[in-house]
Amino acid sequence: MRKIILIGAATLLGCITFATAGQAAEGKLLLYTSQPNTDAQQTIDAFKAKYPKVEISFVRDGTPRVMAKLRAEIQAGAAQPDLLLIADSVTMEGLKAEGRLLGHPTADVTAYAAGIHDSEKFWFSTKLITTGIVYNTSAPLKPESWADLTKAEAKGKVVMPSPLNSGAALIHAATLSGSLPGGWDYYKALKANDALAGGANGDVLRQVAGGEKLYGMIVDFMPIREKAKGAPVAFVFPKDGVSAVSEPVAILSTTKNPVAAKAFVDFLLSKEGQELALKQGYLAAHPDVAVPAGFPERQTIKLLPFDAKKALASEQAYRKTFSDIFGQ
Amino acid sequence: MRFFLAASDRSLIEREGRGAFSFTVALLAILALMPAVVLFKAALWPSGSFDPAPALAELSRPTALRATWNSLESAFLSALMAVVLGSFCALLIGTSDMRGKRIFALLMTMGMLIAPQVAALAFKTLAGPASPLLKLIGLAPSPGSPNPLLGRTGIILVLGLHHAPLVMLTLLAGLRTMPNSLIEAAQIDGATASVLTARVVLPCLAVHVAAAAMLAFVAALGNFGIPALLGLPVNYVTLPTLIYRQLSSFGPGVIADVATLSILLALIAGGAILGALRILDGRSTMLDDDGGLQPYWRLGVWRWPLQVVAVGLVVVTLVLPFLSLLASALVPAYGMPLTAHTITLRAFGEVMFRQASTVEAFRNSFLFAGGAALLLAVLALPVSYALVRIAGRSRATLLFLIELPFALPGIVIAIAAILLFLRPLPIIGVSLYATPWIILFAYLARFLSMATKPTIAALTQLDRSVEEAASLCGAGFGARLRHVLVPALLPAMLAGAMFVFLTAFNELTVSALLWSAGTRTLGVILFSLEEAGLTAEASALAVLTMLIVAGLMLAIDMLGKRLPRGVVPWAV
Repeated sequence: MRKIILIGAATLLGCITFATAGQAAEGKLLLYTSQPNTDAQQTIDAFKAKYPKVEISFVRDGTPRVMAKLRAEIQAGAAQPDLLLIADSVTMEGLKAEGRLLGHPTADVTAYAAGIHDSEKFWFSTKLITTGIVYNTSAPLKPESWADLTKAEAKGKVVMPSPLNSGAALIHAATLSGSLPGGWDYYKALKANDALAGGANGDVLRQVAGGEKLYGMIVDFMPIREKAKGAPVAFVFPKDGVSAVSEPVAILSTTKNPVAAKAFVDFLLSKEGQELALKQGYLAAHPDVAVPAGFPERQTIKLLPFDAKKALASEQAYRKTFSDIFGQ
Repeated sequence: MRFFLAASDRSLIEREGRGAFSFTVALLAILALMPAVVLFKAALWPSGSFDPAPALAELSRPTALRATWNSLESAFLSALMAVVLGSFCALLIGTSDMRGKRIFALLMTMGMLIAPQVAALAFKTLAGPASPLLKLIGLAPSPGSPNPLLGRTGIILVLGLHHAPLVMLTLLAGLRTMPNSLIEAAQIDGATASVLTARVVLPCLAVHVAAAAMLAFVAALGNFGIPALLGLPVNYVTLPTLIYRQLSSFGPGVIADVATLSILLALIAGGAILGALRILDGRSTMLDDDGGLQPYWRLGVWRWPLQVVAVGLVVVTLVLPFLSLLASALVPAYGMPLTAHTITLRAFGEVMFRQASTVEAFRNSFLFAGGAALLLAVLALPVSYALVRIAGRSRATLLFLIELPFALPGIVIAIAAILLFLRPLPIIGVSLYATPWIILFAYLARFLSMATKPTIAALTQLDRSVEEAASLCGAGFGARLRHVLVPALLPAMLAGAMFVFLTAFNELTVSALLWSAGTRTLGVILFSLEEAGLTAEASALAVLTMLIVAGLMLAIDMLGKRLPRGVVPWAV
């Protein structure tokens, strides 16, 4: 009897939860994201299919630019977005410390490994995006380590994203300079090898796929996905290890629609949302979701060590050091 | 008695036009003076008191110096190239008996009216190892060779090609003001066509060439789309792209620095504009109204070679870019060849139906450009009236204020608009930033000159006596406006509105910094797609905008018969 009552209560509770989630999630939502336009559109389309009453739209740009836009809007007293889905958690930590994020204490993160989300549930990792090496398949050299990009064969043929345009590139520069022997000397060696630091990851892909450059530093999913479409590129996880960002999602404290915003976060963290990431060619954060074609098993990917606290404190210094080396 | 009446009517007309004059002065104070004031204040009075030190520090940064040099060099060399190409076209159209002049002039002008970022994307996809077009004919360079159009050379070449029609149109306008009697006199003296060109026409045209060179220089200096797409990926910065990169990557914290860079850019451009005005001053009036220069040069055996060169120019400035964009839009992934197996319409489907942001961008560009065009067409009426009928001695100053925001690089207006409207407005307490109004404001300031030019021309041709006669019959200002002025000026107002629409519809420079969620324009989306590595989608969007521009130009061309001479610039 007691069991029945419990089951009944649980069902009722389930219904109520379901009902509130289903009914209350409506109205407008605006997402600022650094996902490529096509991916962002797929993400919000999938969310819309599940919550047809929510009118969700997005704005896409590189993480530093999304943040610059948001800063201007905050100054104007008119922060536009309800949600952020950007490259790295360091930026999220900064926003959290300023009190610009809204916590989501009821988010269900039981399936995830400890420590990958914010412990106070202000931001949540959605993927694992590593930065490795892309090369054009007609290139004479098949790079295996970061040092290979400084070899004479690669002189003038290497391109990388700039931390002024890409959040992942900033974390990458912080990781490599912090973990490779010699620190920033690696980047100085790249500069001496006539490596180019121009736009964002999209530019790197375009230049390597187009054959204007033969090697590049890039986020994993772009070349792996383009290779599947037939583009002449291949991706390498260098043997010394890769840097990684987690593309976290967070709700802004100024949101006018916290219910729908929480539904969006829940959706991204759900198995369904994570399966979508898989379908798009990303390594999902959820440990039970399969690895997309073209990726090695999760355990075999070697991550370089990264000090998030130090990165938060010296974000501007990293940008400046990088800019000074590459004359930006 | 008659004289007395006319004189009193004249003063009546002037009294009644006072309203239009005050309105124009107020409008120009808002659209031209205020932006200038806030820029100087932000750069030189950064914390309330006069302090030029931070501005000087910013200007002496190596990157700022490099960008200044790059700007000057690319603007100068591209202007040189534009002058050579543009003069060739103008002489061919204006003085020779080549065939198909009108269509040649129209197609060349189309090359200029295509947005710079579209032209840049077209040339970027045209050259280099990945070029779908070169791959199609087996001429693509081997992988590993750089795209020759990325960086300094490419920027200069594309700017030069893009601004050649500007020079051509300026010179054609100049040729129209030259009296044909000059030619006739020289011909009677037995001068051959080449002697005539070298000794008579070119010396007379020299001032126009100099002015056209200045215009091409200023246009190149302020261009954003071309150095943004061809320069930023390889870290070649000019002043406009440096301003953009600073502000878009670092946010409002660096607003004083970008205001300083904007002022530097404005001063360089302003100097060149003043130079051009000085050169042209008082020389644009026809000496003898006999319909302007008539073609005198019989090309004879040279006709076909020159005709081929003309077609070649159209191919390079218009046909090749279009085909290249089309080919890039039809391959599934950048870097793949275009074959019967790979061809796909996916990118077109994506930008026309799937991507909410591109659909929204079409709507926004139509709304903003259309709104600005309509508003400016209406504003052009009182402004032209004040300038032509009322202004008198203040006319030159007012004209300068109208020209200022148009001639200055668009990025300068964008920075000024952010400075003006980022903080909430004083009385209503609402910020215009992140609303469509800030973009509309910038468009109004920037394109006022474009909208008023045709109406000023038409009103100058509309004899004052028509209005005086109406006034004698008892028609007040309102009645004269309804029955005399608007019917006579309507085609010109419409032409002005269409030029504004054409330019604003494709514009990127202003909206690149002023967009927000929901107010992104076609230019912004194109740039964003390209930066995200979605070259096929960006190319598909570019193809669509090129078709829209072509359609609009044909519409203006058809309207051309009802317009005063010189309003449709390519009509010859």
